[in-house]
Amino acid sequence: MMGLSHNALWVLASMLMLGTAAGLAGCFAYWKRQSLMSDALAHAALPGVVIGFAILGFKSLPVMLLGAAASALLGAWAVTAIRAHNRVKEDTAMGIILSVFFGLGIMLLTMVNRMPGGGQSGLDGFIFGQAAAMVRQDMRTMTAVAAVVLLVVLISFKEWKLYLFDPAFARGIGLSGRLMEAAYLTLLVVIIVIGIQAVGVILMAALLIIPAVSARYWTNAFGTMLALSALFGGGAGVAGTYVSTLGDGWPTGPFIVIAAAGIFLLSLVFGTRKGLFVKAMQRRAQMRRLKPQAVRRDPLAEGEALP
Amino acid sequence: MFKQRISKSTGRAFALLAAMLMLAACGSGAGGGAEGGAGSAGADGSGADGAIRVVTTIAQIAEPISVIGGGRVQVTSLMGPGVDPHLYQASQSDIRKLGSADIIFCNGLHLEANMLRAFEEIGKSRPVLAVGEAIAEDRLLTDETGAVDPHVWFDIDLWKEALGAAVEELKKLSPDDAEFFEANKRDYFAKMDELKEEAVRKMASVPEKRRVLVTAHDAFGYFGRMLGLEVVGLQGLSTEDEIGLSDIERTIGLLVERRVPAVFVESSINPKSIEAVIEGAKERGLNVRLGGELFSDAMGGAGTEEGTYLGMFRHNVDTIYEALTGEE
Amino acid sequence: MEPVLQVRGLHAAYRRTKVLDHVTFDVMPGTLTAIIGPNGAGKSTLLKTMLDLHPRLGGEVRFFGTAYRNAKLKVGYVPQRGSVDWDFPTDALDVVLMGLYGRIGWFRRPGRRHRELALEALDKMGMADFAKRQISELSGGQQQRVFLARALVQDADLYLLDEPLAGVDAATERAIMEMLKTLRAAGKTVMVVHHDLQTVEDYFDHVLMLNRTVIAHGPTTEIFTQDTIARTYGGWLRRKERVTG
Repeated sequence: MMGLSHNALWVLASMLMLGTAAGLAGCFAYWKRQSLMSDALAHAALPGVVIGFAILGFKSLPVMLLGAAASALLGAWAVTAIRAHNRVKEDTAMGIILSVFFGLGIMLLTMVNRMPGGGQSGLDGFIFGQAAAMVRQDMRTMTAVAAVVLLVVLISFKEWKLYLFDPAFARGIGLSGRLMEAAYLTLLVVIIVIGIQAVGVILMAALLIIPAVSARYWTNAFGTMLALSALFGGGAGVAGTYVSTLGDGWPTGPFIVIAAAGIFLLSLVFGTRKGLFVKAMQRRAQMRRLKPQAVRRDPLAEGEALP
Repeated sequence: MFKQRISKSTGRAFALLAAMLMLAACGSGAGGGAEGGAGSAGADGSGADGAIRVVTTIAQIAEPISVIGGGRVQVTSLMGPGVDPHLYQASQSDIRKLGSADIIFCNGLHLEANMLRAFEEIGKSRPVLAVGEAIAEDRLLTDETGAVDPHVWFDIDLWKEALGAAVEELKKLSPDDAEFFEANKRDYFAKMDELKEEAVRKMASVPEKRRVLVTAHDAFGYFGRMLGLEVVGLQGLSTEDEIGLSDIERTIGLLVERRVPAVFVESSINPKSIEAVIEGAKERGLNVRLGGELFSDAMGGAGTEEGTYLGMFRHNVDTIYEALTGEE
Repeated sequence: MEPVLQVRGLHAAYRRTKVLDHVTFDVMPGTLTAIIGPNGAGKSTLLKTMLDLHPRLGGEVRFFGTAYRNAKLKVGYVPQRGSVDWDFPTDALDVVLMGLYGRIGWFRRPGRRHRELALEALDKMGMADFAKRQISELSGGQQQRVFLARALVQDADLYLLDEPLAGVDAATERAIMEMLKTLRAAGKTVMVVHHDLQTVEDYFDHVLMLNRTVIAHGPTTEIFTQDTIARTYGGWLRRKERVTG
């Protein structure tokens, strides 16, 4: 049972890389308060995939991925456009784009089903994911993406810190907000477009959101948070994949998300900063310090008001 | 094993209802005769302008009937190449066509699952015959759940019976042409016998270990039985659920164990899954090829060789033969 | 003497409303100027527009005789405290270091010298002990001091501060004004968006009275009168109770 097949190893490696990359980018999205944006972008990619197939009449991966990227970017642009011209809040705008684009994608899918060339098969994989079908090429691609993201993060670490904390001041000292925004969006879209092949549009957001949030509970340093987020993302990828090999017909993508959720729960309860357990301990310690005064009071007079 | 290929949401309940209605509408049991129709044949003066207007659901019925009936019939088929009869729903123009037919032939046995209402309605005023149901039940294939495999046209002997029943109906509609129909039928059936011999011979020459038809589609049960091919379904690769690693690994295991040289998938299967299976098999030393497309539920384009029943059948036989005897 | 800041006919809008209209003024070096006016008068927008943080609809701005992008190293900006998420996981020293990023350069890490400079700036604001404290644990006044330290470390010639005294305790207010006066004494120029009319005369030698356009600008003693105040605030003072926050 410990011996994993080649396919399992490819999937394991792919998900490790994807999880790592998503963890890093998700951290950025978290501090831009745009976690929902990852979800919106992922869902917005669907019509692009379907159109990419519909135009050619057959399934060509590069074309479909290009379509996905274009569609996602269109969604991003639409969010900013809505906000610029209306009093709509950012999360509302993202919610609108998410549903409209995704709905459009589903509608196109049913239309495309009538076409020869197989219609739905192979396109569904983009909605729900097909992580189990990763092959060597996917492993290479995801490794490359993870490497690029890591490079970008390491090289301009302090620039990211400044941009996320105080973009106005950043602009003031010459750090172009447009450049950072473009880099951020590019990273996000690339990860999403590559990632939806594996975990699908619906679950992609989980990989981008959960590891970052979990990391928050363990640290007060931005750099450490990035590292933990990457670790949690990659870890969820590996753990989820491994568990999915244990059962008959168990789908890989959902198990990865469950693994991530498990990490979140552990972090929520046991996280060394802000975790529930730690907070409870701190409160206990505080109570103990106050206790000597309490002992002098009459234990029978509990209902007494304080002087 | 027979996947009910209805859209995700409507599901099994509809299928059950469909089965019951279908049996009612398309007539039941052996023998011809449209029980759901308004009495026996001869509704309108069908011989009026000469040709009998025949409307069928699938082309596997339409094309042979048009050959056998010759100039005495005018045959239309509702479903063209590339259409999935399990999913097909009748449109308004289809209803009109059915309404103006002298006789309607469908496959029955639950193949045209989504057309039951249409048949129910039309059966009230027009004769409808489910040719597949003219076949003796004990010769039909069923799966573990007891569902009948409707793809009977892939067994040449069975299809002869089905077409025979249809021809009997034609004779009833136009007794003057009975001899004409009978003669054509004999000729056509002779060709079918020829084809069967050819097919059986070819398959017999494939080394026995390799006589495995690995496909995602569940249409080839009768085909395999007739030709001595073991039909293995790519379980789990064609479901609507997300595929798991165990599904892929099991498929690879099966291919490697039998040293299967080719798999036959058509576009109904997720190409990514097949890619993973082939690459995984390669790692274990087996080069599996994509064996080419087979006609499963439908035939080729009108006017082409594969658009004829015999041509379609031959194409499948040749494609499989070449793939299984090719180099590993 | 050349003005350090020249603004000519500046126009800006926020959504559909005109917020700055024909704003024109000069600022001379070594002055400590208060920018005052009612809410919505465009005070913050003025700073942001001058610094290219907000779109300019017309007019011209010159810093030290040239465009802002050429003078960035000479201008120190302290944004409003509320413009930033203080939950961000970083400490006070790190924030002050950000003021030096322009000098450290892209793709380089801050060195020991930079850290020392940052610590010095924190010390000048009385925050040296808080260098490693998480900014989320700082009080409002402490956060403001960190912001000011970050500006100081830039060693600019012109400082623009947006409501630095809003919501701070008395000690912090004193400390900040001390620092600003020290800067002025060193020949720097300071402009402060200020909210408290009561303290204008005590703190600032110049005042710029703004209500979409410049109502008055000049030395406090000369132009800060009942008349100009009335003209700037209009009926606003009477309506002050209805305005929230």
